Amino acid sequence: MKIKLTLGVFIGFIAITLFIFFAAIVAVIDYRVTSKLDGVLWTIPAKIYSRPLELAEGSKFNKDNLIKELEMLSYKKVSNPERPGHFSFSKSELKIFLRGYMDQRSGIFSLSYENSRIKSISNQLGISEDLIKLEPTVIGGMYPSHMEDRVLLNWPEVPQVLIDTILSVEDQNFFNHFGISLKSISRAFLKNIQAGEVEQGGSTITQQLAKSLFFSSEQTIRRKVMEAIASILIELHYSKEEILLAYINDVFLAQSGKRAIHGFGMGAQHFFGTSISNLSTDQIALLVGMLKGPSLYNPRRNPNNATKRRNLVLGVLNRSNKISDSDLEALKSKELGIASPNYRTETKHPAFHDIVRLELQKNFDERDLRTKGLAIETNLDPVFQNSLEKSLIETKKQLIKKYGSKLSDLQGAAIAVDTSNGEVRAVVGSTKPSSYGFNRSINAIRPIGSLVKPFIYLTALNQYEDYNLTTILDDSKFSMMSGGKIWEPDNFDKKFHGQIPLHVALWQSYNIASARLGLDIGFEAVGDMFLDLGIEKQVPDYPSVFIGSFELSPYEAIQAYQTIAADGFYSPLRSIRQIKDTKGDIEFSYPYSIEQRIRPEPIALLKFAMQQTFERGTARGYTKKQIKNWNAGGKTGTSDDQRDSWFVGFAGDLLVLVWLGFDDNRQTPLTGRTGAFQVWKNFINDINPVTAEKTSLPRIEYFWTDMQDGQLSGEKCKNSLFVPFIIGTEPKTVPDVRRKCSNKTKNSEESVLDKLKEVFEGGQG
Amino acid sequence: MRKIKGILIIIILINLISCASDQQSRDPSSYAVPVNNFTKTVELLIANDDFLEEEILKINAQNPSVQRILLDADKKLRQQNYRQANSDLERAFRITKSDGALYLRLAHLRYKQGLLRQSESFASKGLLLSNISSWERLLLNVYLKN
Repeated sequence: MKIKLTLGVFIGFIAITLFIFFAAIVAVIDYRVTSKLDGVLWTIPAKIYSRPLELAEGSKFNKDNLIKELEMLSYKKVSNPERPGHFSFSKSELKIFLRGYMDQRSGIFSLSYENSRIKSISNQLGISEDLIKLEPTVIGGMYPSHMEDRVLLNWPEVPQVLIDTILSVEDQNFFNHFGISLKSISRAFLKNIQAGEVEQGGSTITQQLAKSLFFSSEQTIRRKVMEAIASILIELHYSKEEILLAYINDVFLAQSGKRAIHGFGMGAQHFFGTSISNLSTDQIALLVGMLKGPSLYNPRRNPNNATKRRNLVLGVLNRSNKISDSDLEALKSKELGIASPNYRTETKHPAFHDIVRLELQKNFDERDLRTKGLAIETNLDPVFQNSLEKSLIETKKQLIKKYGSKLSDLQGAAIAVDTSNGEVRAVVGSTKPSSYGFNRSINAIRPIGSLVKPFIYLTALNQYEDYNLTTILDDSKFSMMSGGKIWEPDNFDKKFHGQIPLHVALWQSYNIASARLGLDIGFEAVGDMFLDLGIEKQVPDYPSVFIGSFELSPYEAIQAYQTIAADGFYSPLRSIRQIKDTKGDIEFSYPYSIEQRIRPEPIALLKFAMQQTFERGTARGYTKKQIKNWNAGGKTGTSDDQRDSWFVGFAGDLLVLVWLGFDDNRQTPLTGRTGAFQVWKNFINDINPVTAEKTSLPRIEYFWTDMQDGQLSGEKCKNSLFVPFIIGTEPKTVPDVRRKCSNKTKNSEESVLDKLKEVFEGGQG
Repeated sequence: MRKIKGILIIIILINLISCASDQQSRDPSSYAVPVNNFTKTVELLIANDDFLEEEILKINAQNPSVQRILLDADKKLRQQNYRQANSDLERAFRITKSDGALYLRLAHLRYKQGLLRQSESFASKGLLLSNISSWERLLLNVYLKN
């Protein structure tokens, strides 16, 4: 009796212990299930996008650049576009089947154009449209440590065909079981035997979700039991739609480098370059088919396997009466239609990415960037970016060919920005642009050489009562004490040029005249100008600063030049446009801000002198027509002992700065013209910027002046140049020696209006 | 109301004539004072914010597709959804950078946002355009006087 009692107690004790243990396990699993599915289930990385290209009626466009962009987006040139991602080009019409992006719906659009201007846009019904938007490229992401990447779908966004296909292939009894299904297991077993291969899995969708979310892939009884418990708990807590949606967002579809592609939303983007709503039945069948073996059926790596698997899934759909026999045959004959792997891959353009990250750090927490699924719309132009990278690489090759292998370590950086609003279009930080490492565009702080001179000359021209473009400067031998030593600047050609007009000294980049000018106007005035231009560094008060010992990074230097290119309006450089949340609402924006720092008239004079760099100075080689169309201007820079080669130039709506040099600061054989300018030229020739917008400055008037003495001259006089002046500051006298030739024709811009003005104003000027 | 409009038109005409003569001034010292003869009309516009906004939003863009974006922006401006209005205006700006209607709205938007220095700068930049009408020029000058 005593023994029986003890045994009963013991059994009872064991049973209670097991029950408590089991209950504890269930409680733990239940906690994990609810906390994971109720809380932030997925950490969604922020995505960084290039700018979406908008084509509007009446706007200018460059056909070659557009074709390049379409190719980059994996659009295919065909004779008659009939699928998303197709386009055709004729002499006057672009027909494009857009994939769709955000508010831009998918469909066929026709653009008629003439002389690089879009005349009209219409949709497939022939109805006129204002503009169309191409989808941007993803240039990177801010990934969490597990590197999972996904595009989260909401229930209304899930196409019915996806639901039908998943259920037909993975779990036909989904809406009837409670998490596990013996019926499913036995039916899958029978079907697979009939088919001679694995068509269906035995696990329910709930079990697969439980396995994916909470457990490893080890095949043990313990794990299977835990998985079954979790599945039942999931079914108890959540509706069938919630479970299916979680599954759709969670499944693993591919590995792309370090990035894991999860969910059908991301799968559609990754393999087809579009959203799930734009996929056809065959494309959805392919994605669903991949679930069985993401690597084995990866359509990029194993297209034959993928095609077989897709067709098998289409067969299942046909047998489930979801598609007809004729549809089945038509769909099976379709190509896979996979977008190029270059499209929407891992982080590209690391130098640009760095700048975006730095801007983001000012306003966003790192954790939010890695988890909240933010969409970061940048200003990057993918065509410009590729071209700038290519120009730097190709120019380096050309230079090695010319100067030998001593340039094999040559490094470089280049930046392109929109002149008017400071939008950063492209950034390169290395001669190996796609590799991570030292980003010279922001981190290489180097002497800017003659790139400093326009800042000095602008300071003078801003004092318009004392200086104009023909003010005579002194380029004769000069020395002074600086830092306890004698400082004696020299010109690059080792010559002295005597008395010369200010504009000649600038485009010829004479050091001595520039140093004298800097000393005349003073460190304080120059320092104020640096500040106005957007340079936040203190200007040191030693005279060599006036000829280029001042150090800046390429990014800092182009900021200052942006103020010049934008007619004196400072705009902080912006790599980001706006940041949107997962609903598409703007969470944060980086608006276009401007501040007039310098009046446009002195800037117009400076730009004229910088234009002479192209017409007759160190950047010569372009036709007058090209220079005029682009309103181009620029400046070369070479630091001491040719350690740094710089060029900055504006053309059309673009400002581009290039630096070349060695990381260890050793001497190069390059000048600004033979090095950096060649990169600039290759880039600009490749992308051919649009014509510059015309501005109007009523207080500027042109006069023929002599290039030697700066006094008035005439169109027919030798050595004369048509130079702009702020009205009232022009030279007043024509030297006797030119009186005859200056009377031969009048200033070329004189007109009937000018004559009338003379009558009313008594012939002033 | 008719009387006010009539007076306004006369004032504008007088000011436009005086403005034209100002532009032809050959005295370099006048360079420091961009426009100084619009005063009366400008003061009328400054005195009434709603009237000013009404006049600004009446200015149409030259390009029809830009005009349609501006209509969206105007709607958001009226709803005081300044962030979205700005987003639309920047979108339009990327299509054309030489439309007075755009600079007027940007100047006005920044004015509404309380960013007066930026408002003035957008107005100054708009005044550099070679293809703006005299009325647009006058309206842009309002933001220089604010």
